[in-house]
Amino acid sequence: MVEFHEHIISDLLEDPIGGVVVVSAGLGLPKLISSLLSLHDPSQGSVLILNASPSQKNSIDTDSQLSSITSDLPSHHRLSFYTSGGIFFITPRILIVDLLTQRLPTTSIAGIILLNAHSLSDTSTEAFIVRIMRSSNRSLYVRAFSDRPHAMVSGFAKPERLLKCLFLRKLHLWPRFQVYVSQNLERDPPEVVDIRVPMSPYMIGIQKAVIEVMDACLKEMRKTNKVDVEDLTVENGLFKSFDEIVRRQLDPIWHTLGKKTKQLVSDLKTLRKLLDYLSRYDAVTYLKYLDSLRASESFRSVWIFAESSYKIFEYAKKRVYHFGQSESGKSIGVSRTTSTRKRKLDEKNKDGDDSSASASSGLILKEILEEPPKWKVLRDILVEIQKEGQKQSMAGQEEIHGDLNGIVLVACKDEHSCMQLQDCITKGQHKVMQEEWEKYLLSKVELQALPKYDKKKPKAPKGFGVLDGVIPSVSGQKAEVSSISKPENDALMAAAYEISKQAKKDTDVKDGGANEEHAKGKKNGRKNKKQMIGKTDRECETSIQSETPHSNQKETVNDQNLSAAGHLLGDATEGNYRCVLQKHDDQGPENNSAFSSVHFHALESNQSLLDILQPSVIIVYHPDIAFVREIEIYKSENPSKRLKVYFLFYEDSTEVQKFDASVRRENGAFESLIRQKSLMMIPVCQDEQFLGVNSSQEPQSIAAQNVITRKAGGRKEAEKEMQIIVDMREFMSSLPNVLHQKGMRIIPVTLEVGDYIVSPLICVERKSIQDLFGSFSSGRLYHQVEMMSRCYRIPVLLIEFSQDKSFSFQSASEIGDDVTPNSIMSKLSLLVLHFPRLRIVWSRSLHATAEIFAMLKVNQDEPDVGKAIRIGVPSEDGIIENDIRAENLNTSAVEFLRRLPGITDSNYRSVMDGCKNLAEFVQLPMEKLAVLMGGHKAAKTLRDFLDAKYPTLL
Amino acid sequence: LVSSTGGNRNSILVSNRQKGNPLLKHIRNVRWAFADIVCDYLLGQNSCALYLSLRYHLLHPDYLYFRIRELQKNFKLRVVLCHVDVEDVVKPLLEVTKTALLHDCTLLCAWSLEECGRYLETIKVYENKSAELIQGQMDMDYLSRLNNALTSVRHVNKTDVVTLGSTFGSLSNIMDASVDDLARCPGIGERKVKRLYDTFHEPFKRVV
Repeated sequence: MVEFHEHIISDLLEDPIGGVVVVSAGLGLPKLISSLLSLHDPSQGSVLILNASPSQKNSIDTDSQLSSITSDLPSHHRLSFYTSGGIFFITPRILIVDLLTQRLPTTSIAGIILLNAHSLSDTSTEAFIVRIMRSSNRSLYVRAFSDRPHAMVSGFAKPERLLKCLFLRKLHLWPRFQVYVSQNLERDPPEVVDIRVPMSPYMIGIQKAVIEVMDACLKEMRKTNKVDVEDLTVENGLFKSFDEIVRRQLDPIWHTLGKKTKQLVSDLKTLRKLLDYLSRYDAVTYLKYLDSLRASESFRSVWIFAESSYKIFEYAKKRVYHFGQSESGKSIGVSRTTSTRKRKLDEKNKDGDDSSASASSGLILKEILEEPPKWKVLRDILVEIQKEGQKQSMAGQEEIHGDLNGIVLVACKDEHSCMQLQDCITKGQHKVMQEEWEKYLLSKVELQALPKYDKKKPKAPKGFGVLDGVIPSVSGQKAEVSSISKPENDALMAAAYEISKQAKKDTDVKDGGANEEHAKGKKNGRKNKKQMIGKTDRECETSIQSETPHSNQKETVNDQNLSAAGHLLGDATEGNYRCVLQKHDDQGPENNSAFSSVHFHALESNQSLLDILQPSVIIVYHPDIAFVREIEIYKSENPSKRLKVYFLFYEDSTEVQKFDASVRRENGAFESLIRQKSLMMIPVCQDEQFLGVNSSQEPQSIAAQNVITRKAGGRKEAEKEMQIIVDMREFMSSLPNVLHQKGMRIIPVTLEVGDYIVSPLICVERKSIQDLFGSFSSGRLYHQVEMMSRCYRIPVLLIEFSQDKSFSFQSASEIGDDVTPNSIMSKLSLLVLHFPRLRIVWSRSLHATAEIFAMLKVNQDEPDVGKAIRIGVPSEDGIIENDIRAENLNTSAVEFLRRLPGITDSNYRSVMDGCKNLAEFVQLPMEKLAVLMGGHKAAKTLRDFLDAKYPTLL
Repeated sequence: LVSSTGGNRNSILVSNRQKGNPLLKHIRNVRWAFADIVCDYLLGQNSCALYLSLRYHLLHPDYLYFRIRELQKNFKLRVVLCHVDVEDVVKPLLEVTKTALLHDCTLLCAWSLEECGRYLETIKVYENKSAELIQGQMDMDYLSRLNNALTSVRHVNKTDVVTLGSTFGSLSNIMDASVDDLARCPGIGERKVKRLYDTFHEPFKRVV
């Protein structure tokens, strides 16, 4: 624990009812909480930790001594936990249900620790929990934490509202620039080496192009006059929160926006990803991502047509391969290649095959495979560290050597980079690039191997249309590209074919006939490929490691185009191979030992490895502000330890810009919080006031005051009995909370039909707008309404709009001229026609919904819990009382399952009973599937779908 | 505009009360004719609609009730087509909802005259249409179904579906992929990998 942590804790403990703590990202919040927890005394009662994500759980509870309360536990176990005086993780949903069903004695709880406080609002379940708990337990403390200051300043007076909804008064702010914090952390700073790696010319080109397009999109956006211009900067555009900024401003008027503006918003998101991935992915993976993007982007995308976008695709391709006429193509290829690639090209030329092959075909495919510049730098650093270590051990500086345990930690953003860098170090950079390239080609073959291919020809320009054939302004370029793309494609195919063939040869000597077979025509060859595709992925690795490819590639292939590509490829593998060998010769065994102590860490995984690994050198491969703070904390906790930190930045890149901006942004957020704190209006006696209102009532009927005054006189008693039966799954939403605020009694149960049972006659299915669209297209709404109509006299569909979004489905301009089946209006009309008894309720907001419910209950009997539970339950399901279904089901898997062809409402239960999980299910043989799915036809439909080949990208 | 009486079956009959309602301009896809009827719009043998502007409702809060009472019990589907043309909707809409609900009417809200017109047209055009469209059996082609299934996993978008499809080749391969294989796909981060893997490998039922 660092000193300032103690300050935070003692500040927090001053107020017995708790407070909200906001710290800078990376300032060791989990450690802070675990030391806070260590002060807990079981005699005070239990402590419940709400909202901890799995990674937060792990880092708070490093020796996993704390247990989680889940719905798997039978209720008496939960009770014994609640009263044991221990510390528990718990989800808001199970807690609120236990509170409402009075399974939890609130007096046995000492306090609540709330994580991720920035995600709370006054209608969230956490606020609901605190309100109920507080009303019956005055001594309860609530300590809320957040390490995302910028999320705390989004929205109007958020910190103030947060404090109010948790009935707290104190806001504690601990920015990195706070005097204690900076004193602590800067007393003994680690040795820092800042390395700026220049980007390759193509990377600069891509970055420039992306920023240009981004800028163009932002300009377009400004033209709409809908968004605050100040926020529309490229710098803001680098952050995820940019979407939030824009959405927050646009949400209230979202329906009045044209498609173009909406598209701009999503385009900006895509572009941000492109920038991010540019510094994270290698050239081949980047190209692959672009390919997928191009295939999936809708034709409406604005950015994809921009002139600069053309450059993005072009440069991305040029980083990987070059394709063109032999003479002119070659000169372009050479002139544009950067120094990093020259050696490789020389090797190619030395072999001589290059020119002869190209002369015969006229077209060549040249691999370029640009490596990310950081790879080489990383390797150099590792070698340097190794040498230093040796020097020191030779000089016999024992104490320093003991200190430097030689563990090197490389921190990357994601798992993908970690794996790739690891490969780079063990196998060499070239090889990694080569493997990525082969995978890329193979995935192309796989796609092309479909029988569809032949039909593809006439369609080709259309297929490419997304990028290449649509905009007239640049038609010259476009025409060139689309005319080139066919042979280019063929060449890629050919190269891929060579790879897969080689792979096959190595493993299968008998396959000598491949030549002839291939000569018969492409079609045969393709079929051939298709069969072995599954194998090749793994086999190609082995094939390259063995010496055989060298001899294999000499065989002649009839098709000239193919042979050219084949030779080139063969050469490349050979050259590459040699290169790897050379490296090993150069650096020998010491190399391996140096790299053995290198650990890779994905920042995305949110685990804190620093304390466990105790590294003496940290290489920050992808700079991240939170991780920098973690390093600082680690260093100040271990002041005696020598620590060297390398930062790898791409020079003049958005990566640097983003890092600097994130520091500025956080400081800005804290300044705003400090200002808001000084202006906050928190009633001093908030707590007393609150308790005063409710002390005379049951905890279940904390009525808002206006409800009491409106329904004056003798109505008050009747109101107390207002009950609503609510499906367990609905506790994800805020409506139960608001209904409770309105003074209704909430009875949580598992419902088979409907979400809310208002009276014995009225059953309500609630749909938010998003759900409504989704459940129309999945057909679920139809079945839900069908069930409701069958079981209840008055089935109600509640369409709930969100308060801060527009109250309408669409803008007038979107309605169109004709009755179209896909329009939401058509679907709704159809629903109404088929269920004339269905009542539709349109609610402006959560609060309006609560009023409507109160209105519905007038002159109605209270619903019967027992009956509501039994309604609609299939008899073969047996007893499901007290079973919290949603908690016990892998809902994501069930949803997925129900969307598979052949799966229907009638057979999905038996499928779930018949096998453990989806992975097992899809491996079942046909007979077994037919049994589970109730028929061969359904089973066959499913099997065909599962095994269908994914169609081509091009 | 008035067509021969034989065409009445295929056209919307409009009450004479509605003369001058600018909404009529927006009924373009279906023929319509004035007639002497109780409801405002006769949309089929058993279905009818009443038009109500919220602004009008604020001036005449009882209007809707009297109009509904006139209908008696003659129609199976009784639509109250509510034109939301005021800013502060909560209170008037609550009243309209209550009236419609208590008197067996289906409430449809529309925010523009175009939208009102389109509802009338659609109900007429779809008079005898099957419910197939909303039973979830649309988009039967492979890609839509694959998208539909995979995007049900939270955070997975269409680009990811393309990436997964082209990397693994088929759905069964995707479902069989290891955590590492998934993580190697560009654009698929930690969170998505975990979501996907858990969806496929966590048991359906988490019961002990």
